[in-house]
Amino acid sequence: MELGWGPEEERFRAEVRAFLERHAPPEARAASRDEVTDTIPEWARRWQATLFDHGWMIPGYPPELGGRNATPTQTLVYLEELAAAGIPRSLHFPGYAIVAPSLLEYGDTAQRALAPAAIRGDDVWCIGMSEPEAGSDLAALRTRAVRDGSSFLVNGQKVWTSYAAAADRCFCYVRTDPEAPKHRGISVLIIDMASPGIEVRPLRQLTGSAEFAEVFFTDVRVPAANLVGRLNDGWRITQGSLAHERAGLWVEGVARLEHTVAELLDLAHRRGLTGDPITRRRLADLHQRAASLRALGYRGFATFMSRQAAPEHSYMKLATSELAKEAFECALDLLGPDAVLVGDGRPDRRFVHGLFVSFAGTIGGGTSEIQRNVIAQRVLALPRGR
Amino acid sequence: MNFTLSAEQELLVTTLRDLLARECPPALLRAHWEDRQAQEPLWRHLRSFVELADGPAVDAALAAGELGYAAAPGPLTASLLAGPFLAATGRSDETVTLAAARPDGAWVPHDDPERIQVLDADLVALVIAPAADGTLRAVPPGAAAPDETVDGTRRQFHLTVGPDAEVVGHLDPDRLTAALRRAVVLLAAELCGTTRRICDLTLAHVRTRVQFDVPIGSFQAVQHACVDMSLELERAWSAACWAAMAVDADDPDAARATHVAKAAAGQAARRAVRTGIQLHGGIGYTWEHDLHLFLRRALAAEPLGGNTGWHLDRLGDLLFAAR
Repeated sequence: MELGWGPEEERFRAEVRAFLERHAPPEARAASRDEVTDTIPEWARRWQATLFDHGWMIPGYPPELGGRNATPTQTLVYLEELAAAGIPRSLHFPGYAIVAPSLLEYGDTAQRALAPAAIRGDDVWCIGMSEPEAGSDLAALRTRAVRDGSSFLVNGQKVWTSYAAAADRCFCYVRTDPEAPKHRGISVLIIDMASPGIEVRPLRQLTGSAEFAEVFFTDVRVPAANLVGRLNDGWRITQGSLAHERAGLWVEGVARLEHTVAELLDLAHRRGLTGDPITRRRLADLHQRAASLRALGYRGFATFMSRQAAPEHSYMKLATSELAKEAFECALDLLGPDAVLVGDGRPDRRFVHGLFVSFAGTIGGGTSEIQRNVIAQRVLALPRGR
Repeated sequence: MNFTLSAEQELLVTTLRDLLARECPPALLRAHWEDRQAQEPLWRHLRSFVELADGPAVDAALAAGELGYAAAPGPLTASLLAGPFLAATGRSDETVTLAAARPDGAWVPHDDPERIQVLDADLVALVIAPAADGTLRAVPPGAAAPDETVDGTRRQFHLTVGPDAEVVGHLDPDRLTAALRRAVVLLAAELCGTTRRICDLTLAHVRTRVQFDVPIGSFQAVQHACVDMSLELERAWSAACWAAMAVDADDPDAARATHVAKAAAGQAARRAVRTGIQLHGGIGYTWEHDLHLFLRRALAAEPLGGNTGWHLDRLGDLLFAAR
């Protein structure tokens, strides 16, 4: 156990920094950490392509997939540097973070060939998962795909679909066997978003903006060759994709949290609360919890390196998202009556907005309650409930 | 931050864990409560580990975690805490304890002659009391008066450092601060070990205790309480390891890491005590069940080296001074 990494990792860090210094566009540094947009600006497309072309998009992948065969430790160093600089790799995560790894693991030759464009961001992907009746109980999804000659006919509705309006393709979970037990009748189809019968409706959420969409499928014809993996074997791919989503996210999640806590210190100074013992202790406590979570993330990384699995990381999403809500609540307390003022010329309105966004953190990608169920059973080996 | 254990560290942990599982069962803790000599056979097994007192904080923290897990009685923890102080005296006493805590419980450089939280003074050869300028004085162990605590596995003493106490060595002020910080980190690590024991006892109980025809660990309310308890423990242990690494590296962040580690350890301990006793139900409330041995050790250890609130306030001082 030691504080620093070796000289080789530090050389790698210098390389990452030099690249970011030279190539990262000013818009990337200015991009708000809490902002999600459904349109992808031109600078973000160029930036993602630049990262890919220089082997810095997913460093652990080989050059043809936008990487440089980096080791896991080098990848961690890379993620640290991006997070510290607050620079996003991409403004649309589904393609590079979830779809591409799933295509590479489960796709046939033609489907695997879609991965480079997904990673480079040339193709924008959305993921059709949640439905009105399938939230935490994802396996209850009802969108039907029926075989019809050399294609499937798809009917149904997805909801909370990020980037649906901008997407070229949808990685879509559909029910192909309504008779089978619910986990066994699901398949994955690649659906061209330009297909006739698809309607995308923006979904205005509690923040007031529309970053997600509802997607309606009416007799959408999908070539049978677009089936990913085996028929009725799609549940396995959900498990895979969520694992991809979780594995690399802790560094960014912790950095985001630390950033919020640092903003609270700033806020306390501006509000003249630096002498208030309750404020001081509360901010110290938030800082302490964020800092110990960073340490937990690194400890999980060491476990991953020796055992190829890290139970420690199961806690990270749960803990950082819950703590983020507390941090924004604290901001509201520091702001007093100004906390809820959101007119123009009120820059501190970002804190109440941040609180709204933080609500999504403990719901999306597996609610905190589902996370606790999973940890209880898989990490703590407690018996499954009935 | 590289948490990978070296082969030697892995061996240290497994050796000590196996030894304590064998030689330090709850029956020994109960015997020791009645008779301070009961730990002597255990000490014969543990005495070779005092060499860790003079080594890296990481190794001593790993050992402290195991000692906490077993709630081990005897002079080893005290001697690990006092390692850098003993080394500065040039003396070769095998066992030593620190009289560093101010009457308000702060383990900081100070000149108050009154000292509290002196661990196991009746089991050691030497008691070292540091002054603010780094002067180290020896206090005769017999001059320490016991303070009865809730914990039967370890005894705390208080004493007064007399004006004629023998000067036995000196630490530079920087090194004094670093040595006290190291002691606090080891206390955090040890507390995490005891917390892990409470968590393990609780998880084992809910896996096997059947009510309504099912193990109670299958109920979601119980599962979620266990997850929240384990999360607090895992982040606290991670912070303790980080702080030990920072102390070894003499890192500028060592003070911050130490405050984080001790506060996190205190919170995790309190959470485990609260959750552990609740999930054990009636059986955990009996004298016969071993749970109380560990929750008493945890409650008594939480204020050692400064309690959670004190460390949060010092952390706040650092954070607000940094701007």
